[in-house]
Amino acid sequence: MKVMLVPPKQKAVFTYSIVRNLRTFWMFYVMMLPGIVLLLINNYIPMSGIIIAFKTINYQEGILGSPWTGLKNFEYLFASKDSYIIIRNTLLYNSLFIVLNIVFPLAFALMLNEMKNRFLSKLHQTIMFLPYFLSMIVISYLVYGFMSDERGYFNGTLLPALGLEPVRWYFTKEVWPIILPIINTWKNMGYYTVVYMAAIIGIDEEFYEAATIDGANKWQQMKKITIPLIMPVITIMTLLQIGRIFNADFGLFFQVPRESGALFPVTNVIDTYVYRTFLTVGDIGLSSAAGLFQSVVGFVLVFISNWVVRRFNRENALF
Amino acid sequence: MKHTKSKTALLLTMLIVSSLAATACGNSNEANSSNKAAPDASGTASAAPDASADSGTGNASTDVSKLKPYKLKLVYEGAPQADEALVEEALNKILTEKINATIDIAPIDWGAWDDKINLMIASREPVDILFTASWNGYAKNVAKGVYMDLGPLLDQYGQGIKDSLDPAFLSGSKIGGKNYAVPTNKELASSGGIVYRKDIADELGIDMSKVQKIEDLDAVYKIVKEKKPNMYPLYTTGGTFSSHSFVELDYLGDTTIPGAIDKNGTDAKVKPAEEFPQYLNALKVTRDYFLKGYINKDAATSQTSSLDAYKTGNVFSTVEPLKPGKAEEIASATALDGKLAQITLTGKTVATSETTGAMLAISTTSKDPERAMMLINLLHTDQEIINLLNFGIEGTHYTRSGNVMTQTEKSGQYAPGVAWELGNQFLNYVWSSEAPDKWEQFKKFNEGAKSSPALGFTFDSEPVKSEVGALANVLREYQKALETGSVDLDEMLPKFIAAQKSAGLDKVIAEKQKQLDEFLASQK
Amino acid sequence: MANIMSKSVSGSQSKNQLSGRASALINIFFVIYSALCILPLLLIVSVSFSDEQSVMTHGYRFLPENFNLAAYRFLIKDIDQIVHSYGISITVTVIGTILSVIVIAMYAYPISRSHFPQAKFFTFFVFLTMLISGGLVPWYLVYVQMLDLRNTLWSLIMPLIMSAFWVLIMRTFFKETVPEAVLESAKIDGAGELRIFIRIVLPLSLPVLATVALFQTLTYWNDWFLSLVFISDNHNISVQYFLYKMMVNIQYLSSNPNAMAEITRAGGMVNFPSETVRMAMVVVGVGPIVFAYPFFQKYFIKGLTVGSVKG
Repeated sequence: MKVMLVPPKQKAVFTYSIVRNLRTFWMFYVMMLPGIVLLLINNYIPMSGIIIAFKTINYQEGILGSPWTGLKNFEYLFASKDSYIIIRNTLLYNSLFIVLNIVFPLAFALMLNEMKNRFLSKLHQTIMFLPYFLSMIVISYLVYGFMSDERGYFNGTLLPALGLEPVRWYFTKEVWPIILPIINTWKNMGYYTVVYMAAIIGIDEEFYEAATIDGANKWQQMKKITIPLIMPVITIMTLLQIGRIFNADFGLFFQVPRESGALFPVTNVIDTYVYRTFLTVGDIGLSSAAGLFQSVVGFVLVFISNWVVRRFNRENALF
Repeated sequence: MKHTKSKTALLLTMLIVSSLAATACGNSNEANSSNKAAPDASGTASAAPDASADSGTGNASTDVSKLKPYKLKLVYEGAPQADEALVEEALNKILTEKINATIDIAPIDWGAWDDKINLMIASREPVDILFTASWNGYAKNVAKGVYMDLGPLLDQYGQGIKDSLDPAFLSGSKIGGKNYAVPTNKELASSGGIVYRKDIADELGIDMSKVQKIEDLDAVYKIVKEKKPNMYPLYTTGGTFSSHSFVELDYLGDTTIPGAIDKNGTDAKVKPAEEFPQYLNALKVTRDYFLKGYINKDAATSQTSSLDAYKTGNVFSTVEPLKPGKAEEIASATALDGKLAQITLTGKTVATSETTGAMLAISTTSKDPERAMMLINLLHTDQEIINLLNFGIEGTHYTRSGNVMTQTEKSGQYAPGVAWELGNQFLNYVWSSEAPDKWEQFKKFNEGAKSSPALGFTFDSEPVKSEVGALANVLREYQKALETGSVDLDEMLPKFIAAQKSAGLDKVIAEKQKQLDEFLASQK
Repeated sequence: MANIMSKSVSGSQSKNQLSGRASALINIFFVIYSALCILPLLLIVSVSFSDEQSVMTHGYRFLPENFNLAAYRFLIKDIDQIVHSYGISITVTVIGTILSVIVIAMYAYPISRSHFPQAKFFTFFVFLTMLISGGLVPWYLVYVQMLDLRNTLWSLIMPLIMSAFWVLIMRTFFKETVPEAVLESAKIDGAGELRIFIRIVLPLSLPVLATVALFQTLTYWNDWFLSLVFISDNHNISVQYFLYKMMVNIQYLSSNPNAMAEITRAGGMVNFPSETVRMAMVVVGVGPIVFAYPFFQKYFIKGLTVGSVKG
C-alpha cells in the first residue's frame, strides 16, 4: 500500500525497489500465490457487488443499467419502531456472547489444565466438543424436545414430577434472554476451550517453575503468568467477534425459537429481520443494503477497538 | 466457526447482485440470447405462415423438420425423483417427434427453492420454463423483468391453451394488461371448510350435517373432547378459520401483504383484515376453541404437518381449503381411506390469488421462447405428455385401465406430486383411490363461483417495499399466534394493529387502493 | 548437582498442584458438565428408536417407551444414497483439509516474517475479507460463470480452502513460537525460504497445523451451504446436505404457513418424514463424526503436546 503512494518523480527508485523486493522475496510471493488467487476469487472480485445496495434491480436492464435509488434501500432498516429493538437485541446478545465466550471457556481451560488425570481431561474435552458438531437445526430439535408445550421433556415429565405448572416456553419471552446465551455458550464451549487450552499448553513450564520457587500460589500464577501470556489470543478472538457484532448467529435466532411471534421482542435480530423481509419482498437491493450496513459498522468497530488495544499494548493489536 | 457465521450472513444477505462480473456476463448473455433468438424468431415467423396455412392453429408439429434440435429446461418446485432420467428419456422420444426438442426436468426442493431460484434468476442462468405463483414472487419478478411477455407467443403457439383454459385464468393473471405466465388448468374457485374423521363422528353419534358455520363446530368438538380425551378435536399448524379462503377476503395478489377487500363486496375498498367483521369473528371463535382445549396447544410452533398428525390417529379434524375430493386426497396420503369426509363452510369465490396460484412462465433468459411456449401448449393439450411428466411411465410407475391408474411397486420411484404446477390437470388420469369422475366434479365446482371485484389485479409492492419489509416482521410476530388462538385477543389485537401502523400499514393500504382504483378505471 | 535437580523437580510438583479438595471439585464439575453435553443427544437417539405413536402421545422421553426400529428401517430404503453421500463427504473433507492446511500455512508464513516489507499489506489483504463481503450472487457468478464449477466436487472444496481466521492464527503462532534467530542462522547457512519453511518452521508448528486440520475437517464435514448453492443434480449430495434438505423442507413449509396453505390448496401434498425418522437421520448424520472425533483428538492433543515440550 505504501508503494502506491510514491510520487511520480521517484519512479526510478520505485522500480528499482520493486525489482529488489522481488529478487529477495520471490519465494514468498510464490508461496502466497495460491492463497492470493483464492482470496481474489472468493472475496475481492465479488466485493464489487456492493453497488447493488444503491440500485433497484431490473434483470433485463442488467445491473449497471438498473436505476440508482440512493439510500432508499437502507430505509426499511430504520422504518419502524422495531428497528430500535432489533439493533438493541443484536448488540446486547452479541456483547453478552463475547463476554461469555471469554469467561467460561477460559475458566474451563484453566481448570482442565490443572486436572491431574490426563485421560479424564482429554475425555471431558472430547465430550464438551460434542455440541459444536451439531447444526442449529439439530439444536433447535433438541431444545424443542425439552421445551415443547405438549411433548417436551420439561412440561411432560420434569415439571409434573416436581409438582410445578407447565410453562408455555415458546410464548414466555422472559426466559429466552437466558436460554439463548446458555445455548450459545453450550455450543461454543468446546471450541473456545480448546483454543485457550492450546494457548495455555504453549506457555513454557519454566515460568511456572520459577514462580513456584518464588512461592506464588495458583491464583497468583494465573493472574501474573497465564492470563498475560495468552492475552494475545484472547484479544484476537475478541476483536474478531467485535467485527461481527452486527451479524447475529442466524441459526440461533431463527431456527431455535421456531418462528414464535410472541418471542420476537427478544429474538428478532438484524439478520432474522432482513431474512423475513427478503421472504416477503424478495428484493436483493434491500438485503444487500443490510449486509453493507452490517459490514461497515463491524469494520468501524474493529478499527476503533484495535486502536484502543494498540494504545495499551502494541503487541496485542490485530494490525 | 467463522465459516458458518459468514455463510449464514451470506444466506441472509441473500443475493447481493454483482457489478462487473454480473453485468459483463449478464450483458453478454443478453446479447447472446437476443442474437440467437432473432434468427430463430424470424425463422419460425417465416415458417408460421405455412403452418397456419396448414392447420390454422399454429400447430408447430407440421414443421418439425425446420426446427433445430433444442433442449428445454423446465424448473419447478418439488422433490427430485429417482427415476427422473427414465422419464426424461421417454419424454424426449415424444418431444423430438412433436417439436424436435428434448427436456431437462430440473425440480428444486421445497426448502431450497427460495435460495436457488433467486440465484438462478440473479445470475441470468439460461432457463426456459419456470414455475411461479402469486405467493411465490410472481409480481415482484415481473417487475424485475424475469419473465417474458407471453402475449405474441400465446397467439402464435398457444392456441391449445386458449381453447382449453377457462378465460378467467388468462385474464385473471395479467399484470399491467399483459400475460407473463400461463396458469395451470385446475379448480378455479376457492372455498374453505373442514376435513374430519367420519368414522369417529359416526362412532360418537355426531350429526355432522348440522354443521353449517364455524360456530356450529363447538358442539361437535365438545363431544369429541369429552369422549376421546386423547384426541385433538382440531389440529392446526397455522391456517385456521381466519385464512383468506375462509373469510373470503381478497388480498389483491399476495396474501403476505396486508390490505384486503371483501370478495363478496362491491365497493372495492381496501382495508386491513382486522377491520372486517368476519375476520374478527373468526379470531374470536378460534380463541374460544383454543381456550376450551379443542386446538393443539403448540399450534403456533408445531412442525408436525396435519398429515402426520392424522397418521397418528389423534386428530379429529383440520381446517382446509376445499375442492372436490380433498378428503379422499388426504385419506390416501395418510392411510385413512374411507375414514375422512369434508364439509364446506364458505361460499365459492375467485380472486387473483386463485387464478395465479400455480403458473408456468418463460424466462427472459430462454434461448428459444417459441419452443418453450410449444412445450407449455403441449402440457395443456397432450394427455400422453402431461401424464408422463406427472406420474411416470405407464406399466412401470403405474398401471392403467381407462383413465384410472393403479399404483405399482415402483410408484415411489417417480411421484413428484406436482400435477397442480404443470399444464392441464383435467388431462390427468386419476388414481384408483380417487373418485373416477373427479374432473367432472372439478368442472362443476368451477361453475357459479363468485368473482372478486378485483379479479385480475395484482398488487406491485415495489413503491412501498420498505414498509412491506417492515410489515413482514410484524405479521410474523403476531399473526400466527392470533390466528391459532394461542394468545389473548383483547390484549394482543390492539398491539398488533398498533405495530402494523407504526410499520407503515396506512401507506401500504393507500398504495394498494391507488393501484386498485387505477386498475378498475382501466377495466371500464 | 543431580541432587539439586531432583529436589527442584519434586518440589515444584508438590507445590504446583491443587489441593485434593479443589481437584475433586473440578472433577465433579466436569462430570456434570459433560453429562449436560451428552444428555440432549441421548434424547435424540432415544426418540429415533421409539415408536412414532408413543412419541406423538407421550412426548420425548429419555428411554424409548416401545423400542422400535421403524425409523431405521425407513432409512435403510435409502441406503445406496446414504453410502454414496458418505463417499462424497469423506472425499471432500480429506482433499479439502489437506489443501487447506497447505495453502493457509504457505500464506501465513511470509506474513509472519518481520523482515518482509509487504507483510503488513498482505495481512490486511486477508483480514479485510473477514469484514467485507460482496454478497452471495457476485460470488456465485464467479464460480458458475467464470470457473464453471457447478455440480463439481471442486465447488464444494475451493470456497473453504482459504480461511482468513486461520491464516491470522497461524501467523501469530509462527511469530510467537518460531524464533527469528533460528531462521536467520538457517538463512546464513544458505538455506532457501522454502527449505526453511519445510524443514524448520513446519516441524515446530505441528500443534497449530493439527488445530487447523481439525477445524477444517469439521468445516468441510459440516458444510451444507455450498451444496445448497452449487449442487443441483442428484449426484454429489453430501451427508450434511442430505440431512439439511430434509430438515429445511420441513422448516420451510411449517414456517411459511402461506406457502403451505397455497401448496395444499393448489393440490400439492405435504408429507414430512415423521419425528422419529427425522431424529434417526440426525443420528446417521452426526454419528460417524462423533465417533471419529476422539480418534482425531488423540492426534490433536499429541500435536499440542509436541508443541509444548519443544523446549
